Amino acid sequence: MFNLRSSLKTLATGAVLAHALSLAMASTALATPAQLIESGFWEQEVQSGDLPPVAERVPEVPLIVDLEAKGRRFGVQGGTLNTMVTRSKDIRQMVVYGYARLAGYDETYQLQPDILLDFEVEDNRRFTLKLRPGHRWSNGDPFTSADFEYWWKDVANNLLLNPTGAPDYLRVDGALPTVSFPDETTIIYEWAAPNPSFLHSLAQASPPFIYRPSAYLKQFHADYADPEKLAEEVDYARVKSWAALHNKLDNMYKFDNHELPTLQPWINATSGKKIRHLFVRNPYYHRVDSKGVQLPYIDTVEMEIVAGGLVAAKTNAGEADLQARGLGFRDIPILRKGESDGAAYKTYLWGNGTASQIAIYPNLNVNDDQWRQVLRDTRVRRALSVAINRAGINKALYFKLAKPGAMTVLEASPFFDPALREAWAQYDPELANQLLDQAGLSERDSYGIRKLPDGRPMELVVETAGERQEVENALQIISDDWRDVGVKLVMRPLDRDILRNRVFSGTTMASVWYGWDNGLPQTYTSPAYLAPTDQVFLSWPKWGQYHQTGGDVGEAPDLEPAQRLMELWHAWEAATTDETRTKVWQEMLKIHADEVYAIGLVAAAPQPVVVSNRLRNVPTKGTWAWDPGAHFGIYRPDEFFFEDGKG
Amino acid sequence: MEILRYAIYRFGTMLLTLLVVSVLIFVIINLPPGDYLSNQIAELRASGQSSGVDKAEFLRKEYALDRPLWQQYMIWMGFMPGPHGFSGMIQGNFGWSFEFDRPVAEIVGESLWLTVLVNVAAVLFVYLVALPLGVLAAARSRTWVDYTSAFVGYLGLATPNFLLALILFYYGHKYFDLPIGGLMDPAYEGEPMTWEKVKSILIHLIVPTFVIGTSGASAMMQRLRANMLDELGKPYVETAIAKGMAPARMLTKYPLRVAFNPFVADIGNLLPAMISGSVLVSVVLGLQTIGPTLLTALKTQDMFLSGFVLMFVALLTLIGTMISDVLLVMLDPRIRYEERKR
Repeated sequence: MFNLRSSLKTLATGAVLAHALSLAMASTALATPAQLIESGFWEQEVQSGDLPPVAERVPEVPLIVDLEAKGRRFGVQGGTLNTMVTRSKDIRQMVVYGYARLAGYDETYQLQPDILLDFEVEDNRRFTLKLRPGHRWSNGDPFTSADFEYWWKDVANNLLLNPTGAPDYLRVDGALPTVSFPDETTIIYEWAAPNPSFLHSLAQASPPFIYRPSAYLKQFHADYADPEKLAEEVDYARVKSWAALHNKLDNMYKFDNHELPTLQPWINATSGKKIRHLFVRNPYYHRVDSKGVQLPYIDTVEMEIVAGGLVAAKTNAGEADLQARGLGFRDIPILRKGESDGAAYKTYLWGNGTASQIAIYPNLNVNDDQWRQVLRDTRVRRALSVAINRAGINKALYFKLAKPGAMTVLEASPFFDPALREAWAQYDPELANQLLDQAGLSERDSYGIRKLPDGRPMELVVETAGERQEVENALQIISDDWRDVGVKLVMRPLDRDILRNRVFSGTTMASVWYGWDNGLPQTYTSPAYLAPTDQVFLSWPKWGQYHQTGGDVGEAPDLEPAQRLMELWHAWEAATTDETRTKVWQEMLKIHADEVYAIGLVAAAPQPVVVSNRLRNVPTKGTWAWDPGAHFGIYRPDEFFFEDGKG
Repeated sequence: MEILRYAIYRFGTMLLTLLVVSVLIFVIINLPPGDYLSNQIAELRASGQSSGVDKAEFLRKEYALDRPLWQQYMIWMGFMPGPHGFSGMIQGNFGWSFEFDRPVAEIVGESLWLTVLVNVAAVLFVYLVALPLGVLAAARSRTWVDYTSAFVGYLGLATPNFLLALILFYYGHKYFDLPIGGLMDPAYEGEPMTWEKVKSILIHLIVPTFVIGTSGASAMMQRLRANMLDELGKPYVETAIAKGMAPARMLTKYPLRVAFNPFVADIGNLLPAMISGSVLVSVVLGLQTIGPTLLTALKTQDMFLSGFVLMFVALLTLIGTMISDVLLVMLDPRIRYEERKR
């Protein structure tokens, strides 16, 4: 272990040494803790002069965390956290867990400045971002507005690097912002029309990084680099152009270039693709606890890439200190068994952030005329919904631990209303039969299956991504429920990408996916995903395409409630008060509950989170959500620590 | 001379076959709608991440995925200049893997020897188990030896590999402290070969070898048993026994050699199996062989990577059959290449 650590550090300090240390004296601002404590991990490097002392490494105004005020314990530095992922590209999870963002959410989903010292917003059009003076990249380069300028001028708007021009998420009504950089620590983004989602998009699990380490990347940019050296580098990397090289090296989210400086709490210290990736503490990280200990508490993170099916077995064998990824509801028994067999971990059951664990999406844009007409009939969708015995599914598949109900937001959202969860979610085959009869599907064949108006039997083909056993089990149960009301369900497992492409092209009649990704909307969350704005809501692929392409492909929404959803979304965009926004949200959720665009089955299924007995500050109750939440991100893994710093 | 002429002729047809195979592979990989990058863009949009989209758009242009399919094929093979001049398979550029974000040659090169290692171990296991058991079962046919070995063999064949693997992992870890998954302790990855590393690999090989081997062994056992029983009924066997030849020597001297003939012909299939064998088992056990890579590449439509691996396997199959054909000619005087009757 010892030699490993030193070789790691040479890797990391190599980058630190890369530039001359010309440090401005850190003026101890009011907020700094009286005494910053040097980390044991970097002690040697500091003593040998390879690394400046901690007081010079943190920004002049670090972000100070009072853990006791948060109801957590002050920790000690040290230890190695073991965790597992299932694909080699999942090392990006360290950027998700690390969750250092310009502005990020806290545990109550409120936006707080994080990397930024502060931000100012003027009527959602003009955003002034203030950086922390003296903030540095993980290799010691100063982090200033020049890094934002480099990205905006030399990356986003460079047609060789981005053939399609500046990215879409910065366009409001097609117009790009004007961006200015008045001084070293100020960046101003200004749009003509309001862009209320701008700061929130920066707080995502996978945020758009509107800055790049310019000092490092300029050596790969044709406008700055020495042409001969650059040609050599391009050749060496076996790519075809300097643009390809630059695009390969500047992935701040992919985290796959260990030489790329970062602002995250842990730096990638493993080059290339390995089975085990090591991440070491960022000596320049901007967060400090109020006792003067620089975060993160944990020195190194070891991330091992294992086959998906083995995560539970390996966790059960005690090989992970913190693990939720790759574990699902069905693994809880084996995890509990490991506990009772004396493994040194606990299994917490967290909530789940998606609006529904399983939801069936009838495709309102299916190519088959007859089916399209049938599925567009609200009565049919309601019938299919009330024909399902959700309590039975919850009992059979989730040991009654999930919450049966229609698809709507979760309790943690201010818009939660129990009536919406119960809407058309009761088990009532009687009613389902009535509704289907009213919808003109009363003819049945000799097997008792209803006939479509054109005489074909009512066989609804439901396609799945074929990734989750629980979906297939649920559909088995539903196929019996639906048979009772004269509808035959045919299940077709496909592959994720193929399923999407089939839905987008209108081939699929109905598909299964999770409910809305974000089941925890707050007043500031844009309700765009409730309106037909995007093909990824699998019930209206063509309406979504129509909006996404400005009417080039797809179809305009031609059902009144869907049009109303569009209007409401625009109303939200134009809204100025939280009151109006809340009203909009409530009405949109009500439309979804009435219209049953997606048939939700159960919500809030527990997500097992395995935590080592020595690991502290991990909340026993939390929500495992991608956005907002960044999985562990909003719970700040940089504040987790090992008892006595040994792990 | 006859053989040389034949070999040259075979080589010519081989190249043609490869060309046809390459077209087929390319078409089949591109049959599902969409391509890796458009799927990735859909995926990014689905999870509300707009930040990666521009990168994907760049790659589409860089690797000519925005062009018609036939042009993509020509560029891939190197018959036509791409956005940056000629660079395809013929020029020795095997393309780029989008999924792993590295050159294809690197990915394949790394996992190649591990793949061969796992499959060689499995093949050895199969031979070591199946040969003696098959012969025994034939020699003692319709006795408890025969039935037990058949029962064990069928059990191995019938148990789903992944289930067997998980059971073995769980109990192996519990009672013998065997590692779960992988082919070596990650600490040894990329390190030079040492005795410690070899030991680590061997320990990690126990479960996979057993799992892959059990299913193969029983099939081979039954075939050998059937072939042997055919031979054992022949008059020369009775003659030999009547003349007082020791049964064990008699068994191995003639019947076994004849029964073994089909296995020589199988050598041709061994070569591609070294690369493409045991894909699913590798996926379940988390072995760093080419199998899981190929499966991922096929699922995500990472066409350059999957295309290359499939081409490689096709090439090996052709070489393998060629070798076994030539070998058979040399071994068995009864086989002759007749001039084609016109």
